[in-house]
Amino acid sequence: MELNPVEIRLLRRFRKMYMVTAFLVSLAMTAVLLLTVFNLPAFGKAGNPAENEVIGRYIEKGLEETGAVNIVAAVILDYRAFDTLGETLVLFTALVAVLMLLKDEAGVFNRRYRERSKFEPEKDQIFRSVAGMLIPCLLVFSIYIIVNGHLSAGGGFAGGAILGATLVLYNIAYGLEKARGFINEKNFLRFITAALLFYSVVKGYSFFTGGNHLPSVIPLGFPGSIFSGGLILPLNITVGIVVACVVYGAFCLFNRGGL
Amino acid sequence: MIIFEGLLLIFLIVCAVAVALTRQLWQAIIIFMSYSLVMSVVWVFLQAPDLAVTEAAVGAGITSILFFLALKRINAMQTGKKGGKGK
Amino acid sequence: MIRTVLAALLMGAGLFVLAVATLGIFRFRYVLNRIHVAAKCDTLGAMLFLSGLAVLEGFSFAAFKLILIIIFLWFTNPVASHLVTRVEFQTAAELEHECEVIRDRKEGGAGQ
Repeated sequence: MELNPVEIRLLRRFRKMYMVTAFLVSLAMTAVLLLTVFNLPAFGKAGNPAENEVIGRYIEKGLEETGAVNIVAAVILDYRAFDTLGETLVLFTALVAVLMLLKDEAGVFNRRYRERSKFEPEKDQIFRSVAGMLIPCLLVFSIYIIVNGHLSAGGGFAGGAILGATLVLYNIAYGLEKARGFINEKNFLRFITAALLFYSVVKGYSFFTGGNHLPSVIPLGFPGSIFSGGLILPLNITVGIVVACVVYGAFCLFNRGGL
Repeated sequence: MIIFEGLLLIFLIVCAVAVALTRQLWQAIIIFMSYSLVMSVVWVFLQAPDLAVTEAAVGAGITSILFFLALKRINAMQTGKKGGKGK
Repeated sequence: MIRTVLAALLMGAGLFVLAVATLGIFRFRYVLNRIHVAAKCDTLGAMLFLSGLAVLEGFSFAAFKLILIIIFLWFTNPVASHLVTRVEFQTAAELEHECEVIRDRKEGGAGQ
């Protein structure tokens, strides 16, 4: 594209002005943010706005009311489970957007990828055998993190991300065609919608009984054992499934344009 | 221990500035990855192990993979000096 | 006492190896040289440092976890370096300018 000298001069002036404006704007932004930070109440002081009766209730009654040793899990999957449903739905919506944008019906992108890629990791013997040794351990580790969400740090989000990363590793090491054997598009959408529906129904039941002061039939169990915490364990598993599916689906759609 | 924490925070600030100032996108992604890794250590210091695990898995692992794939998708993976295709 | 000294020796050796790796990455200019430094020194340095920590910890569950981390690193780090090297070898347009290439087989195999 040819530019005449006037345009070039204008462009240069624009770039200079752009730099100056960007500098000034970021400086102003920094000043505003620093002022806000200085006006915040001090960290961890009694009498802060965050220090109200809610936090005391969670800490004192959390174990008794939810049966979960991990207070974070008790808060995000029992007291504030509706927020977590919203977060999971945000992930699902993002995946649907990616599916709409990048789904490659005709397979054009996949064909072009095959023609242009000079390097195929699935042909590498060393990588394949090491991945074959690592993937079972990673699967066990991610499942451990998911099902121990109410006992120790972790839970559905972290374990689901690790599970998704493991599936991504499987996809890279063994190829998309082999990975389709157990997680193709149909299965994938079934998993994710079933998990979301299960979450909504179960938590809807819990909110209905709790909101109407009805007794819940779900036992809380003995705190510290794996089957405790009432609904937290199944909810952790559903959140993990959704997160793993979203990670794996986004990877496949970005990589080849299809699951 | 407080010195170590301060060093980590300084590293975070340096990383954040470097991400904004880097010219090449893949370098920015790698710096962002190290930012997430250090951030997860900072979460451990702030006694939030749940967040640390999630940050290490999502921030350092998944997000960078997706960023790299997006770069590959828009054919932006140019290597620096020679102008040939990297990767 | 002797455990502390042993742990300090191991951790010092690990730090030295990691420092050499960092120096090498900054000194070399080409991908294959850099990965040559980074792969070996990172693997050995991490192993030395983590085993130092395990010795300091003594015979406990944390030490077992550290040993698991060492095994994981020894699995993944060489393989990752191998993949980077292979990508460079198969896709670099000007590999002959940088190093001597022996193309004796059709695909892969031959290095510098």
